[in-house]
Amino acid sequence: MMDTLSSSLKDALKKLAGKAVVDRAAVDELVKNLQRALLSADVNVKLVMELSKAIRTRSLDEELPKNTNVREHVLRIVYQELVRLVYATADVKLEPQVILMAGLQGSGKTTTTAKIARYFQKKGMKVGVICADTFRPGAYDQLSTLCAKINVPCFGDPKATDARKLVREGLVAIKDLEVIIVDTQGRHALEPDLIQEIIDLNVITKANHRWLVIDAALGQQASEQARRFHEAIGIDGVIITKMDGTAKGGGALSAVAETKSGIVFIGAGETIENLDRFDANGFISQLLGMGDIQALAEKVQEAQMASEVDMEAMMKGHFTLRDMYKQLEALNKMGPLKQIMNMLPIGNMQLPEGVYDVTSTKMVRYRILMDSMTPKELDDPGLINSSRMQRIARGAGGTPEEVRELLKYYKMMHKTLKGLKGMGSGGKFNMQRLMKRFSGMQ
Amino acid sequence: MFSGLKERLQAVRNRLGGSIGAVAEAAPPAPAEQAAPSTPATPQKSPTLADKVKILIIDRELVVSAKDIAEALDELEMTLLESDVALPVTDAIIANVRTSLVGKHRKIGESVDALVVGALKSALLNVLGKGFDLPAYIRAHERPVKILFTGVNGTGKTTTVAKIGAYLKKQGFSVVIGAGDTFRAGAIEQIGVHAERLGIKIIEHQTGADPSAVLFDTVQYAVSHKTDVVLADTAGRFHTKANLMSQLDKIRRVMKPDLIVYVDEAVAGNDAVVRAAEFDRTVGADAIVLTKVDMDSRGGAAISIAHTIGKPLLFLGTGQEYEDIVPFDPDAVVEELLGCGA
Repeated sequence: MMDTLSSSLKDALKKLAGKAVVDRAAVDELVKNLQRALLSADVNVKLVMELSKAIRTRSLDEELPKNTNVREHVLRIVYQELVRLVYATADVKLEPQVILMAGLQGSGKTTTTAKIARYFQKKGMKVGVICADTFRPGAYDQLSTLCAKINVPCFGDPKATDARKLVREGLVAIKDLEVIIVDTQGRHALEPDLIQEIIDLNVITKANHRWLVIDAALGQQASEQARRFHEAIGIDGVIITKMDGTAKGGGALSAVAETKSGIVFIGAGETIENLDRFDANGFISQLLGMGDIQALAEKVQEAQMASEVDMEAMMKGHFTLRDMYKQLEALNKMGPLKQIMNMLPIGNMQLPEGVYDVTSTKMVRYRILMDSMTPKELDDPGLINSSRMQRIARGAGGTPEEVRELLKYYKMMHKTLKGLKGMGSGGKFNMQRLMKRFSGMQ
Repeated sequence: MFSGLKERLQAVRNRLGGSIGAVAEAAPPAPAEQAAPSTPATPQKSPTLADKVKILIIDRELVVSAKDIAEALDELEMTLLESDVALPVTDAIIANVRTSLVGKHRKIGESVDALVVGALKSALLNVLGKGFDLPAYIRAHERPVKILFTGVNGTGKTTTVAKIGAYLKKQGFSVVIGAGDTFRAGAIEQIGVHAERLGIKIIEHQTGADPSAVLFDTVQYAVSHKTDVVLADTAGRFHTKANLMSQLDKIRRVMKPDLIVYVDEAVAGNDAVVRAAEFDRTVGADAIVLTKVDMDSRGGAAISIAHTIGKPLLFLGTGQEYEDIVPFDPDAVVEELLGCGA
């Protein structure tokens, strides 16, 4: 459904392309399509109305800047207004702090608590977790199991019934740690007892941050819930979870607008590493169903591979085994290939299924095999005949079949990237043309 | 329950009634004097006008035109969207109300309100479908009746299994629970505690075990102990994860459930439709349980999901206690939404 919406959005933009002056009817159509796209992404109805009003007046009233066409002008306004919706990214400081987690039942607080603990741990902080969920059976088991996996101390007692007392004890027990994360029971704004409880917990912990966890699928209710939580404890950051499904997380925008805070993290996956810092541009691109290359760039940088993985060269088709080696190394740090490909502005292109099938253990094997190749073979895999295959296999302690499989994988990657290259203009990576091409293909 | 949507629908209903009423007031003075000359003057130009006039003279009825109710329908659209009814479902309901109102002949004496309420009611009932009587179903089928619970992460499957277990136990059925969520940390402990509190037998393996095996054992237990109902909990999974969906398919093949119950939350927005459709497509769904209804007074998700997969709603989860579960009765809900009296 989202795909048809984003393509109708693109169609509406296309209509503006050839125009010399801003056409009222075309703008109206664009705004209408935008409204539908945003409403389907669960953005608050009132926000959508305010936004579309602003876009309409700005598009019609503002003078067309020099050297831009109507389409670019309107698109920029749309983008600016959308970015304004998500406010600033909330800061995550690497200093001693207490973080209180709040949210509805089943929004993913416990899983996110463990992920955040892992995040700070990776940044070199000493982290501890307190399980203040004294209601849900298994809550302590869940959190302590997750924490045990990453060697983070977890304070809690499955038999306790008083969360306030438990948290007081917990704060004493792990007071030497720098970052303390307090996981709480799920609650919603219409439960006065539980709201009072979290107000008390906020006082007891003197929390530096109070983060609200929002399920990406949460609908129009997000506004109301966020407002009540904000009134109770003053939310200063929002975390969106379950972004690995098909939900667009528009409800989180309502929460951001209500709490006047920013989005801190995005959770997308069931393993403890699947937590990303929020990026406004990327989020909006996904919201509207358009790809985003900026998020990819940042991700590459974080893996400190920016200088080594040359996207441009790869897109041009200069792709050797050497590149693949670097890429596999980088991918190990960046996460699954599928996640990376989703961030490329190639929309909903269907890649051959096999491309994603390379598991991390296979990647390790591939790298060992490539270590056994000569520089010449790495630059020109065409050289590899059966006798060379034998030698490579022996050197890597493997079989020629494995080498063959590796070459097959290489060919598939090569073909895929060559396919991408055909869509750029003159070797230069041209996002707009790509988008157009793909919107035509859908 | 659903009081938010109720208030809003009430306002729309007044609005729709108002715009149709306004037509009624504007039109009547005309026919008595002008109808006779105008009928022969414009016979071929517009048959609808002639029709209208004829009706006005002869039957003294009114015809509702699309224009009369356009504004009120726009408002209804916003109301539904604000209540989390997904966009395609909203479109369907609006179209339904429009077709049933436009061109409708209304006798002058007939209440506008009744007309509008009738249209809204049939549109909503159309979407919500029939309820589902679980105890009657169990009585009518061969024991053990095997019920498999599916859904995405964090919608409340485990809690629902416990609640339904308590409900059925109260109805006099014997129940066994299969701890099929072997993935999430703490899940087996969670359902274990519930089962212990409720005094229900539970079959469990350790974390990481094959859920199909656990649930197969549960069914075996039920057969040999002549238990009435098997409730099979599963791990939450996203419909986009092919491997997890095929795992669910395997569970289905192994335990051969009589009923597959899809669990989702009332607060979910547009995505509710996408994932319900996908679950229905890959593993099927026979009934729906909507949880966290107490969080949300709007109830839009109920309408969206029911409309999308066309399956009945079984229960609504309305709180954190075991008793907080109500069998779903569409007539009662629609009655309540539209403020009865109609």
